[in-house]
Amino acid sequence: MKKFYSNKLAIIIFTLPALLIFTVMVFYPITQVFVKSFYDWNGLGSGTFIGFGNYVKLFQDTVFQISNKNAFIFSAFITIFQITLATFFALVVSNKRTKGRKLLRIAYFIPVVLSVTVVCQLWLAVFNADTGLLNALFKAVGINYQQNWLSDRYKAIFVIAFVNAWQWMGYQFALMMAGIKSIPDDYYEAARIDGCTTFQAHRRVTIPLLKETYKICLIISVTGGVKAFTEMFIMTKGGPGNSTYTLTYLMYKAAFREFRYGYGMASASILVLECLAITLLLNWLFRNKERQGYKNGKTS
Amino acid sequence: MKRVMALTLSLILCSTMFMGCGSSTKDETATTTTTTTTATTADTATTDAAVADTTTEAALPEGVLSEEEATLRIYAQYSDDDTKVPYDYAVKQLAIAYPNVKLDLEVQAQDDGQKLMTYAATGNLPDIYQVALAQIENFKESGNIMVLNDVAKSTGFTDKVYDSAKNILYNEDGNIYAFPYAGNEYVVWYYNKAIFEKYGVEVPTTYDELLAAIDTFNKNDITPMAMFGSEGWITAAFYDVLATRWDAGGIAKLDNGQGTASEDAYKNAADMMHKLVSAGIFQDSVSTTNYDQASQMFLNGEAAMFLNGQWYMTDATTAMGDNVDWMYYPSYDAASYESGKMAWSGGGAAAGYAVNPNSEHAQLAAEVAAFISEKYCEAKVLYRGTPLVAVKVDVQPETEFPAMMQKLQAILPDITSITKFDWHLTNSTFKTALEDQTKYMLVKDYTSDEFITELDNSLTQ
Repeated sequence: MKKFYSNKLAIIIFTLPALLIFTVMVFYPITQVFVKSFYDWNGLGSGTFIGFGNYVKLFQDTVFQISNKNAFIFSAFITIFQITLATFFALVVSNKRTKGRKLLRIAYFIPVVLSVTVVCQLWLAVFNADTGLLNALFKAVGINYQQNWLSDRYKAIFVIAFVNAWQWMGYQFALMMAGIKSIPDDYYEAARIDGCTTFQAHRRVTIPLLKETYKICLIISVTGGVKAFTEMFIMTKGGPGNSTYTLTYLMYKAAFREFRYGYGMASASILVLECLAITLLLNWLFRNKERQGYKNGKTS
Repeated sequence: MKRVMALTLSLILCSTMFMGCGSSTKDETATTTTTTTTATTADTATTDAAVADTTTEAALPEGVLSEEEATLRIYAQYSDDDTKVPYDYAVKQLAIAYPNVKLDLEVQAQDDGQKLMTYAATGNLPDIYQVALAQIENFKESGNIMVLNDVAKSTGFTDKVYDSAKNILYNEDGNIYAFPYAGNEYVVWYYNKAIFEKYGVEVPTTYDELLAAIDTFNKNDITPMAMFGSEGWITAAFYDVLATRWDAGGIAKLDNGQGTASEDAYKNAADMMHKLVSAGIFQDSVSTTNYDQASQMFLNGEAAMFLNGQWYMTDATTAMGDNVDWMYYPSYDAASYESGKMAWSGGGAAAGYAVNPNSEHAQLAAEVAAFISEKYCEAKVLYRGTPLVAVKVDVQPETEFPAMMQKLQAILPDITSITKFDWHLTNSTFKTALEDQTKYMLVKDYTSDEFITELDNSLTQ
């Protein structure tokens, strides 16, 4: 191992291709987004430098405020939905006594592998106010609660968030399953000897030991909510009006519908900064306090 | 053995990564339609005798305009009969007049011109492309669109354009950037005569009568008006239809910077739209209904009225026969109804087939674009039942124009004003806001004050 790390040339040769690709495909475009956000640019030519003009307009834009509000609602909804359900299903499926575990494992993951377009079209049919399955179901059982699910300016964001949460819950479930499998059985044996019930074992052993997994799941779901776009684009086109706009949709609207690429890039820059801030915050919240203690000189 | 399998699988995975990296151009095998081409082709050859043969000074065979060889990429609409039939006809005619020119069709995406913008930004524009006015303005600044004045003159295209359509040939700066094919078009308010008769409803002339009609239809489980509210252009058109009752300039006036949304006319229109939506003029799922769904509702007799362009007349007549007709837009009172009958929503713009100035065969592409545009017009008259084309064509329709089109044709000389379709708006910020806000107005609890505020904001940006 020492010999390997001392061969710097070999390290450079093996990592250079990946680094080059990363620089060209990821780092350079992100840098350009930030640079061009300071320009009045229509996508062609070089644009005119206007300093913070785009950012000033952005912060005064009511749609920007709506987008941030929707980002918060979307993230909160899908985080609570996905992580709660994924935890529950993972605990149930990891229990060897559960019948049909293999089938359940596949069933929960199927929505993840479906195309998002297919999922959105499916739920569009379900939520259709005139002919949708949901309203028909309410009518069939005699409940007078037919709603205009996707045309309500206050409810539409929750409905779309549900679609996203439904599809990607399986992904969180898979992460949690992997985390649970990595917990040694010794802990559960010790817990059984101490007289723990299954519920207590999960509460005292499984969930605390899934801390790192939860950190990853939270980062994925919260940042995923902030940068949501596909469901809005397919199901409501940001509507009704602009009530389901997110920052990504605002970026899309500015750049591709209004040809205001500079303004769109300003929106994208804010989005990147928000996702970065969320990641740093979650990392800080989930920091290993014990290790922090040793770093600060604790001896016991 | 395992290593060999792993290596094989990796190679297969790597090779599938590159499968999607094919050419984006598609060689569409368009369906052919029967044509009576001989007379029209000869006429074209005769009237276009002044076209310069850039490749050779030798005499060309009859009917041939050029023997220059080229494969031209063309980016055009090709999605339904209204676009496929004229394109197929134009291609067949092209094979006679330009026998060595091959067209590689790439079907235009319905994406507000994003793909075309990407092509322009990457220097990969097709040789010929259909373009809307907003993009012409964009492309002008960046040198991605050819000035066609000389070619329009040399091919005789300029002389063939109707005087009434000269507004859609010349850009505001006096140049020609695209060869138009559609003439001025109109937003038409269709209605199902059978449904109206069945429920004893008279064709409304005022908004009070319209509200009463809406109430009657709703009570009888008939959708008063089917609307494809997922598309912003039609909701903008609906608003424009209302606005033109108070100000004939409609949304065109706002787009041209000649007014604000808080003026009385536009406020009244917003209030009226809110009132009609609250009364239940549209189906419940209007916000997510697409064109096919709304059209089927009307054609199947589930909706009493429908709003669309005049190009819908052929399909509506085919499906509904004598049961379909169009009405003048209702207005706020009887007097304004009569005085406003000839103030229409719709229009045309200097858009159509444009040419990439950096094309290897720019001059030829320009001549072909002019030719295609003219043949497009011929096909629209011949097979699509519309005389509303930009260019004078010497053909007679295969079948008589539908009764609705004859009715519209009769009043065309009396039309006093037209506005713009959504895709002709030049202020892209206003256009986007208008689409979003008029779609928002389909929601009953969205107020007209909010609508006006947002629209005015967009006009100041």
